[in-house]
Amino acid sequence: MWGKAKGSKKRGLRIYFATDLHGSEVCFRKFLAAAKVYEANVIILGGDFAGKAIVPVLTENGWLRAHVGGEEVTVPESEWERLAADLGKAGLYPVRMEAAELAALERDSAALDRLFRSEINAQMQRWCDLAAERLDPSVRCIITPGNDDPVDADPVIVAHPRVECPELELCDLGPVTMASLGVVPTTPWNTERECSEDELGKQIDEMLEQVPSGQPCLLNLHCPPYASGLDEAPELDDTLKPVIRGGRPSIIPVGSHAVRDAIKRYQPVVSLHGHIHESRGAQKIGRTLCVNPGSDYSSGVLRGAVIDLAQDGSCLDFLLTTG
Amino acid sequence: MTSSEASVPAGAAKVAGTQPTRLFIRQTSGLVRELGIPAATGISLASVAVVNTFINFNAGLTDFTKSDMYLPLIAAAVIWLVAMFAYRYLLRAVPRAGGEYVYLSRIVSPAAGSVAGLGIAVVFTYVLSTNAHFAAQFTPFMLSGLGSAFHSSALANAGNHLTSNIAIAWLSVAVMLIVAALSLFSLKIVARIIFWLIVLQVVAFVVLIGMLAFGSHTDFTSALATYSNHPGAFQDIINAAKSNGVVFGTSIASAVAIIPFMVLNYNGVLYSYYVGGELRRPGRTYLYASAISIGVLVVLWIGVWALLRARVGLTFMQAQANLSVANPTAYGKITSLNSVAGGLGYGMILSGDPITKILFATAVPLAEIAVNLAFLAVTTRVLFAQAFDRLLPVGVAKIGDRNHAPNVAITIVLIIGIGFCFLTSLVNLGSIVALQSLFFALILLAGGISATVLPLRRADLIQTPGMPEDARRRWLRQVTLVGGATTALALFTVYELAAHSSVYGKFSLESILTLVIVLGSGPVIYLIARQVRRQRNSLDLTMAMRELPPE
Repeated sequence: MWGKAKGSKKRGLRIYFATDLHGSEVCFRKFLAAAKVYEANVIILGGDFAGKAIVPVLTENGWLRAHVGGEEVTVPESEWERLAADLGKAGLYPVRMEAAELAALERDSAALDRLFRSEINAQMQRWCDLAAERLDPSVRCIITPGNDDPVDADPVIVAHPRVECPELELCDLGPVTMASLGVVPTTPWNTERECSEDELGKQIDEMLEQVPSGQPCLLNLHCPPYASGLDEAPELDDTLKPVIRGGRPSIIPVGSHAVRDAIKRYQPVVSLHGHIHESRGAQKIGRTLCVNPGSDYSSGVLRGAVIDLAQDGSCLDFLLTTG
Repeated sequence: MTSSEASVPAGAAKVAGTQPTRLFIRQTSGLVRELGIPAATGISLASVAVVNTFINFNAGLTDFTKSDMYLPLIAAAVIWLVAMFAYRYLLRAVPRAGGEYVYLSRIVSPAAGSVAGLGIAVVFTYVLSTNAHFAAQFTPFMLSGLGSAFHSSALANAGNHLTSNIAIAWLSVAVMLIVAALSLFSLKIVARIIFWLIVLQVVAFVVLIGMLAFGSHTDFTSALATYSNHPGAFQDIINAAKSNGVVFGTSIASAVAIIPFMVLNYNGVLYSYYVGGELRRPGRTYLYASAISIGVLVVLWIGVWALLRARVGLTFMQAQANLSVANPTAYGKITSLNSVAGGLGYGMILSGDPITKILFATAVPLAEIAVNLAFLAVTTRVLFAQAFDRLLPVGVAKIGDRNHAPNVAITIVLIIGIGFCFLTSLVNLGSIVALQSLFFALILLAGGISATVLPLRRADLIQTPGMPEDARRRWLRQVTLVGGATTALALFTVYELAAHSSVYGKFSLESILTLVIVLGSGPVIYLIARQVRRQRNSLDLTMAMRELPPE
C-alpha cells in the first residue's frame, strides 16, 4: 500500500538526487552531507546549479554597501565574510567593487555577462573541490547541467577528477545505465540550453538507442514530462507576469512532450527531473517512476529524492526529502 | 526571485550612499515574483465567501440570546490582523507555497507536520461536506425564490419537500457530485467557473446592500406582510417569540461567545500566503494585501449589519431566528420566509423583479460551489503532499492520462466527503458552524505556534544578510511576541468553542464523532504508515524531513 513490496530483492544501489540549487552555497553543502545522512552510493545534482544574481557590494570609507531585500544595507568592512556568506546561502554572488566599476558594469552588458560566467565557473570549481574534500571515496558524485547553466561551466566539471559530468552520455551506475540531458524545450527566457521538442526528442532517442538491450535504464532529464503533475507552473502573460483566474494564479503544465513520449516508449525504471521548482512530486507513467524533488534553494532548504534500486535494476522504494 | 529579496526587517542598517546599489539579474528561466498588492488582495478577497456571513449571523442569532454582531465582527478582525503579522514572518521563513502543514514540519517537527497535514486534509474534506450542506439547506429557499421569480407555484412548493434530514443529505451529496464533476475539467475552465460564481455572489451582495440602503423600515414590514400573506406578520413574529421565551437586547457575554463564529467569517482572508512563492517582495505585499482585505471586509460586514439593524431591526432578527427553531409550527403559521436565509431572505421579499430574486435565491448555493471548487483543489494538493511523504499510497497523487486531473484524489475526497454529508445531516446547523469554527481556530493555532517557536528553532530561516546583531535579537523577539499573541488569540477562540459547554451546548454525539475522526486520523495514519514501512524494510519515513548539516 505504501510502496511495492519487492519480496527478497536486495538493495543494489541507493541514489540521492537533488536539482536546481541555483548557486546556493548552503544547499550544495547539504547535498554533499546527504551522501552520509541518507547512506547513498551515488549523489546526483541534476542541473541548474548556476546562481541567478550578482550583488555588487560597494566599498566606501571602510564600509560595505549592498542592495539586499529591496533596500540598501551597510555593514563595516570587517563584516565582509559574514555578509558574503549570508548572501551566498541564498544563491546570490556577492562581488566587491568600487563605484566606478559598478557604473561601468551597468553600461556594459558584455562585461556583466563575463562577470556572471566567471563567478559561476569559480563557484563550480569550489564546489568540485569541496566534493573531493568531503565525500567518502566510495560515493560517486555526478553533476549534470540544466538549461540555466552556461555551457562553458561544463568543462570545469568534466576536468575535475572527483566529479562526473555525463551530459548527453550514458553512464554505468551498476544495476542501471543512466542517460542525462539538461536541454529543455523553448522557454520565454531564451536560456542557453533550449531547443524544439523535435530536436529534444532526437537527442533523447540517440542516447537511449545506445543502451544495451535488456539493460535497465534511468533517465536524468532536466525537463519533466508534459502534464505529469511534475510540470505545473503559473501561467505567464506576454510580460511574464502570472495570470490570475478565479482569484488564483492560473496553473498550467509546462513540461516536454518529447520527454513524455520517450518515457512512454522506452519505459526506464526511474526518470529524474527538475526545472519546475514548485512542482515537487512523484508520478508513474506506465511502469516508470518519474520524480521531481522540486527546489527551495532560496530558503537554504535542500529538497531531494532518495531512490533505492535492486541489484536487478528494478526500483525498490523512494522517498522525497526536505533537509 | 530569492528570499533575500523579501523586505528587510526594521533594524537593519541603512544609509543613503552617494550611488544607489542594485542587483544584477541574469536571464534565466523560472518564475519572477510578479504578483503585486492588487493581485494579492484579489486572491485574499476571492478566498472569502462573502454571503456566508448570513449563515454565520443566523447561527449567532439562533445559538445565543441578546446577540449583536458589531463587537464580534471587530474582535474577529483583530484576531486575523494579529495572525496576519505571524503569517508574514512564516511567509518570510518559508516563502514558497506553504501552509500550516509545511510550517509545522519545517519549524516544529516533521512528525508534527505530518500529523497536522493529515488532520488538515480531513478538516478540508469535512468543510467541503459542510459547504455542500449549507447549499442543501438553502435549496428550499432557492426553489422558493425561483418559483417566485418565474411565477411557478410548483417550483416554490417543491422546496417544502426537501427539508428532512435525509433530503438534505442527498442534496449535499448532489452538490458534492457537481463539484467533483466540474473539477474534472481543465484548471483553466475550473478557474473561469469559480470566477463567474464569485462575480454572481458579489453582485447579489451589492444589490442587497443597495436595497437595504435605499429602502425603509416600513418598506420591509409591508413587504414581509405581502410575502407572508399575513398582515402584521412583522409584529406577530416578535409577539410569538416573546411568548416562546425569547429574550431580546444585547449583552457583552453573548457578543464574546459569538466571536468564534465571526472568526470563521473571515476565513480565507490571509490566503495570499498560499501563493507566497509568486508575490513580489512577499512580506510587504502580503501585509498590505491582507490588511486591505480585512479592512474591506470589516467595513462591508459592519455596514451590512448596520443596515439590517436599521431596516429590519435587531428585535425582529432575534425573534425570527429563535422562534423558527424554538417553535417552527408557530413561525410557519405566520410566514414561509426561510429564517436561515437571513439577509438574503429580506432581500428576496424586498425585491420586485425576477432578476434580483434569482440572484438572491442562488447566491448561497453558487457561492458554496465556488468555495468547494477552490477547496477541492487545495484538499487534493494536501493529499498529494502526504502521498509524496509516503504517508498515503503514492497512487493517491496519480494524474489522469486523458484529462490531466487528479482523479484518484478527487474520488477519495468525494467518498469521504459523502460520508461526512450524511453525518452532517444528523447535526443541526449551529453545531456545524461551531465545528467549522473550531477546526479553523485549530489551524490558526498551528500557525501561531509555528511563528512563536520560529526564532527559537529556526532563526536561520529569517535572518537577513547584513543585519546587526542587536537588531537581529530585537527582530527575533518581535517574531516571538506576534506568534505568541496569535497563539493566545487562537487558544481563546478554541476555548470559547470547546470549554464553554453551557454556551456551546450543541455538540452532539455526531459532532463529537466528527471531531474524533478529524483530530484522530492524522496520528493514526502516521503510526500505521510508519509501522507498515518498518515491517517491509522500506525507507524510513523519518528521513523525509531530517535536517541536513550544511557544514
